[in-house]
Amino acid sequence: MTQHESVVERPEVSAPEPWSFPEAQRAELANGLGVVSYDIPGQYVISVRLAVPMPLDREPREREGIATIMARTLDEGTARHTAEEFAQLLERKGIALGAGVSESGLIVDVDVPKRNLGEALDLLSQAVREPVFPGNEVSRHIKIRLAEIDHEHAVPGQRAALEFISTYFDPAERASRPGAGTKATISAITPADVAAFHTANVVPCGATLVVAGDLSQVDVVSEVEDALGSWRGAALEAVESPEAARAADAARIVFLDRPDSVQTEFYIGCPGPDRRVEGGWAAYQVLGFVVGGSPSARIDAVLREDKGFTYGIRSGFRPRRHGGVFLTSGSVRADSTTEALGLLLEILDKAREGFTEAETQAGVDFIGRTAPGRYATADTVADEAAGLSLEGLTTEFTTASLRALADVDAQVLTKAYRRYVTGEWTVIVVGDASLFAEGVRGLSRGEVAILPA
Amino acid sequence: MPLDYQIAERTLANGLRVVVSEDHSVPNVTVNLWVKVGSRHEVEGRTGFAHLFEHLMFQGSRNVASGEHFSAIMGAGGRLNATTWFDRTNYFETVPRGAMDLALWMEADRHGYLLDAVNQENLDNQRDVVKEEKRQSYDNVPYGNAIIDIYAAIFPKDHPYHHATIGSMEDLDAASVQDVHEFFRRYYGPNNTVLTLVGDLTPDEGFDAAERYFGSLPTIATDARALAYPLPPLPGPLRDEHIEVVPSDRLHVAFRLPVDNTPEFFASSVAMDIIGGLATSRLYQRLVRREQIANGVSAHTMGLVDGVSLGFIGIDVADGCSADVVEAAACEELVRFAAEGPSDVEMESAKAQSERGWLSSLASQEERADHICHHVALHGDSGYINTFLDRLDEVTAAEVQQAAAWWLVPESRAVVAYLKQERVAQ
Repeated sequence: MTQHESVVERPEVSAPEPWSFPEAQRAELANGLGVVSYDIPGQYVISVRLAVPMPLDREPREREGIATIMARTLDEGTARHTAEEFAQLLERKGIALGAGVSESGLIVDVDVPKRNLGEALDLLSQAVREPVFPGNEVSRHIKIRLAEIDHEHAVPGQRAALEFISTYFDPAERASRPGAGTKATISAITPADVAAFHTANVVPCGATLVVAGDLSQVDVVSEVEDALGSWRGAALEAVESPEAARAADAARIVFLDRPDSVQTEFYIGCPGPDRRVEGGWAAYQVLGFVVGGSPSARIDAVLREDKGFTYGIRSGFRPRRHGGVFLTSGSVRADSTTEALGLLLEILDKAREGFTEAETQAGVDFIGRTAPGRYATADTVADEAAGLSLEGLTTEFTTASLRALADVDAQVLTKAYRRYVTGEWTVIVVGDASLFAEGVRGLSRGEVAILPA
Repeated sequence: MPLDYQIAERTLANGLRVVVSEDHSVPNVTVNLWVKVGSRHEVEGRTGFAHLFEHLMFQGSRNVASGEHFSAIMGAGGRLNATTWFDRTNYFETVPRGAMDLALWMEADRHGYLLDAVNQENLDNQRDVVKEEKRQSYDNVPYGNAIIDIYAAIFPKDHPYHHATIGSMEDLDAASVQDVHEFFRRYYGPNNTVLTLVGDLTPDEGFDAAERYFGSLPTIATDARALAYPLPPLPGPLRDEHIEVVPSDRLHVAFRLPVDNTPEFFASSVAMDIIGGLATSRLYQRLVRREQIANGVSAHTMGLVDGVSLGFIGIDVADGCSADVVEAAACEELVRFAAEGPSDVEMESAKAQSERGWLSSLASQEERADHICHHVALHGDSGYINTFLDRLDEVTAAEVQQAAAWWLVPESRAVVAYLKQERVAQ
């Protein structure tokens, strides 16, 4: 048998077919609750998201984490059902219900097979309107959160993230402290506190209910009206906090000593924009991909594919409600710590010199052409809509950002990067300080503080 | 509910099984390949090799440069990766329809002509990358090696599932270019592979494209060994205790389970959910809600083909509580469940949650393609995605009780315990 020569000639890629983000239907109930729905045929599990704006700085300083404890106990006992009964009502109908908080608010997630949507909306309504926060359930979730804090400190990536916010942000800022609270603030929370926080903050006016999935034969507004139309609560005065300030001494290196670590974790950041940045958000999505979004991106081309120091390091611009952070994180083989950190900072700094048209185009095509797949399922569409609603945006923003990719070229990209990346890095290192802190100091990239992990 | 995802199937002359599932909801195509080789085929001294080999599939082939697989597919708007597991290795990308031909051409190039590009430098580099993957996912995180300990405890030393897919550092070090050549020639061929295409194409378009790019790949000589003899439950309890720097005590209570895709496996899987998987599971209700001696309970069921499957329950012991007390309570519940079986409400809940989980996993083209490939490659059944829920619905309470009484009893458990060092040292 002769050797098989290559199959056939390399095919060309033809232009993608037109696609647009699923279209939203919008309504508002008399109580001020916004209702947004996306009919996505073939998506048999319906995703419901209730997004309630609730900036974390509304938490009392000495009770931080109360929003998280409230979110976790919404379904742990209501006016009509005990916690166990409620869990059973959800499970018998194949409903998954969860809740969590971000910097901007509360999101309650519900996924349910289409035929049980009505029951799911009813149970969602009971959880957000009638929770009773029983003492034993609140104390149980406080204990669980305390244990979770120990776990967060034991995982190098999470430990680095916690140290990053306390180093990067001014200590007066809420953003400098863990979103879900510390041991001291969590321990101080009582069931009465949680109930009061709930009453004051979880109200329909200004909240958004998103429903996404195969909605043929479903009258969404009427179903939502049945479940949540009689929900009442006074609208809160919207107080916009300014961008969280960076600490005066943020540009430095903190080395957290974790003896015998076989890898060293890096968490590196500087300021970045929010989604409303002048010139558009699109360039920053592309930058994340080009700098640290794939094995061929600038960072992993060197640290992974050339040096073999890492399984992968990722970069990205993380928008906050106001302002944002440009973050790079990942782990490397312990004995490469010094060289890897030196290379990483060099790559990040050198990117200020500019990007090529080829890498820009690859990034633009990746972000733009993956969108149909990234937003193909009910849950991803619902998550996008709910998350944006807390920022005061709609999925029109997503559509506009994707359209704006057409105007992103190498020059735009370079300008966008230079605007924020000035070389003033906050660097967190988690690893064996006895072996590598001296080397890191030797890089002369700023003051190095060594702290226990 | 009856599912009717479109399925069309054809086998090419060289043995490649091709499945096409037409779905025009998004202008994309998912390309998914399952090669019927995984860590269960590895020989002593070469653990981790199937996975290391998978990494080399991204380092170029006859007409594709090193790293180009990622850059070309992502640059065309594709998302891609590959994974290795006990029973198989899979490669997948989701691309805009206009890049489907490129994706298939690149897949065919590496699945047919990888060895033209393999060299010592590529091997050494990816060996380093894989070692960092192991350090990141297993060695540098608390409890990271528990899953490896579970396999080692529950499967006999000479069993194909005794060692984890990630392998050992020593064996990764020992891998040579010669090994890569031998492994490729032995396992990578169209007649040991399944190709599934899901998305914006017709079956004929899919079959034509498969023929165009894969049709000339030569058939390999397959020498599939017989599957391992079915394993019964463990004959007696086993314990593997680790005293480490971990934030809290964690128990993994593991069991052998019947082979995947059998009524017995489905019944044992429902039993696992009712015992430890649901938010209303027996263990969650007692340990987490009522007695509050654990902070969390989770159940994991892994369906496998080689004579046995695996199930385990993870329990996070609450601070100040005794791991022994928690384990004893868990064992009591196992005994009780084996004796009384599930209630109607428990059966209803387990099936309802499985249904939502299954429908959610079919919601994306990517996962749908993966499920199709899985059941064609390992069970020869291209219709599985449409029939699974009906089969699950047939499971009776009596079958669940029977499965639990045979497989999920304390006498047949292996416990892998990670206990917090400082407390023990006092």
